[in-house]
Amino acid sequence: MGKNNIQVSLIGNPNTGKTSLFNKLTGLNQKVGNYPGITVDKKQGVCNLSSKNKAIITDLPGTYSINPTSLDESVVLKVLENPTGKNYPDVIIVVSDVENLKRNLLLFTQVQDVGIPTVLAINMADEMDKKGISIDVPGLEKALETKVILISAKKNTGIQELKSVLENYKVLKPVTNFSEVAKRIDVSFFDALQKVNPEKPLYHLWLSATQQSFRDVNKEDLSDFLDDVSKLKKYQHKETIYRYQRINNILKENYNLDKSKAKDLRSKLDKVFTHKIFGYFIFLSVLVLMFQSIYEWASIPMDFIDNSFGSLVEYTKSIMPEGMFTDLLTDGIIAGIGGVVIFIPQIAILYFLIAFLEESGYMSRVVFLMDKIMRRFGMSGKSIVPLISGTACAIPAVMATRTISSWKERLITILVTPFTTCAARLPVYAILIAIIIPDKKVLGVLNLQGLTLLALYALGFFTAVISAYVLHKILKIKSKSFFVMEMPEYKLPSFKNIIFTVLEKTKTFVVDAGKVILAISIVLWFLATHGPSSYDKVEEEVREEIVLSEFSEEEIAQKIASKKLEKSYIGIAGKTIEPIVKPLGFDWKIGIGLITSFAAREVFVGTLATIYSIEGVEDEGTIKERMEAEVNPDTGKKRFNFATGMSLLIFYAFAMQCMATLAIVKRETNSWKWPLVQLFGMGILAYVSALITFQILR
Amino acid sequence: MIQEIITYSIIALAILFLGRKFIFKSKNNGCDPGCGCS
Repeated sequence: MGKNNIQVSLIGNPNTGKTSLFNKLTGLNQKVGNYPGITVDKKQGVCNLSSKNKAIITDLPGTYSINPTSLDESVVLKVLENPTGKNYPDVIIVVSDVENLKRNLLLFTQVQDVGIPTVLAINMADEMDKKGISIDVPGLEKALETKVILISAKKNTGIQELKSVLENYKVLKPVTNFSEVAKRIDVSFFDALQKVNPEKPLYHLWLSATQQSFRDVNKEDLSDFLDDVSKLKKYQHKETIYRYQRINNILKENYNLDKSKAKDLRSKLDKVFTHKIFGYFIFLSVLVLMFQSIYEWASIPMDFIDNSFGSLVEYTKSIMPEGMFTDLLTDGIIAGIGGVVIFIPQIAILYFLIAFLEESGYMSRVVFLMDKIMRRFGMSGKSIVPLISGTACAIPAVMATRTISSWKERLITILVTPFTTCAARLPVYAILIAIIIPDKKVLGVLNLQGLTLLALYALGFFTAVISAYVLHKILKIKSKSFFVMEMPEYKLPSFKNIIFTVLEKTKTFVVDAGKVILAISIVLWFLATHGPSSYDKVEEEVREEIVLSEFSEEEIAQKIASKKLEKSYIGIAGKTIEPIVKPLGFDWKIGIGLITSFAAREVFVGTLATIYSIEGVEDEGTIKERMEAEVNPDTGKKRFNFATGMSLLIFYAFAMQCMATLAIVKRETNSWKWPLVQLFGMGILAYVSALITFQILR
Repeated sequence: MIQEIITYSIIALAILFLGRKFIFKSKNNGCDPGCGCS
């Protein structure tokens, strides 16, 4: 290489268009992609700056920080640590994209601190106008003490200016601000580190200690600093925080993003989806469509599954010899499994739609939109994530509150999250709605059952929000927090990802929840078919009672079965709690369901399926048909009428019927106080609300 | 007789399973059955 050749390194975050710039500068045609990781090793090319001067451009792999986390990222540090290396740069170009300047400037400040003249090239500048971005370039140059060039590798703008900066690189002075950062972290620590080699720049010594780079420093001299790894990690963390604080101050003065001026498609969509009126209207419409689809699409496969299990019971009874195990198999095991499998279509459709909205980027706009509401009710914008993921399960949702920095906001979110309608409530809601709400259309297109389900989801959400407000007023805990989030790009959802999510979630429901439902069904079957000594005399007693009446053999068998269930262990338990649940419109059989479903809500349906299977003499049909046929002996009317059904729905909407959630709340709050507050608070609310509902509607 | 032995064995297994899940493991990661999560 000639005397006038200068060495230039291209460094930048992944996907900032480094390779495009490299191609523009060198005239080469390296492969370019719109995803990170195109450059996994360094590439070189020659750029003619003028007739006399040439630049050897080295394109280094994309990295978010000078501290490498992977092999390709470590290439950057390897080039910078070796001044005698043939690729050691005379000048560095840090390439940033105009939209993510803050994140890119972290790498810029680190690279600049190495002490090599560094210029900042802000790529994709042609999109600034469309995105509503304006940059004060002279102000930024002053703050960063270097040249800043707006370029567009795609539109070929700013490239000549960049070349002329490279040609005159000698006017650029090496700048390092690390000593300022070091002073804020720990003055005595960094003074001691500097004494290891007073000749070396402090940042090189720091990188020697943390990255095992800049190897001309003797490791033994550093041994005092290398022992306490956790301290080094803590200081690295502080270094990043202080760098970001400086970057924030610089950008506040020199970078402006005005969304109202943005003109690109993403900004246009954002404007609509996060609009203070249309945003909520669109979100509500999406929800209505979602719950309509759940009912419209799931009804056919659900009926098919229900009928198939009915036939399977009959077939099993016909081929198996009569006996205890046959009864367990048909009334306990098959009925129990049927109670799980029937909800697969609805759960799969719900997860499919949620995954679709998440993948498309819309869900992040909902989070942003809801932030304004959340703040008014004492929660963080981040609380919406637990509240939305709570529609699947309260457990990961409670764990997701860890991202909320304020303890008060986090505690409130933990306490109210179980109000959101989780997947476990869906089976209970689905069967009760199917029984008490007629399957008809309103306004010509909207399914009434789907609307009722949506109303229950809304009830859960609004109860969570109102409870949060009450807790916000009651709890005397002081704390502050702020909300920052990066909006992902809109994209067509990946079908593969969605199917994977649906399969994973459905499998978890079937396997994990299914195992418990099945085990409880088996135990229930035993408790419902066995009892204390009086149980064995039931048949005899019933026959004696009706000896003079003219009942058919089938009716007598039905009476015996009902009486037996009443005298069984489970019947005795249900009868014991009946006085407590009777004012809510529930009988002892529903009472049994309430007890067993404390383990997990969806067990309620399995419990009733098992109870009615045992009570039924012949197989009269599906679980739904058996529940519909149940008669209240006091009134002679249907047991699951509108008043009882609504009372049950309200009870399940509010009650803390989940042992696993209580366990996780105990772990997250490190106290039994809060899960107990939840258990009794939600329990009392559920009881009182169900009582009022039943008494009004009866 | 065989039917009864099989039945009682299954019931015992179900009780053991529920006991293990809810009594001994309830303080674990909490992602226990019924939650629908992973």
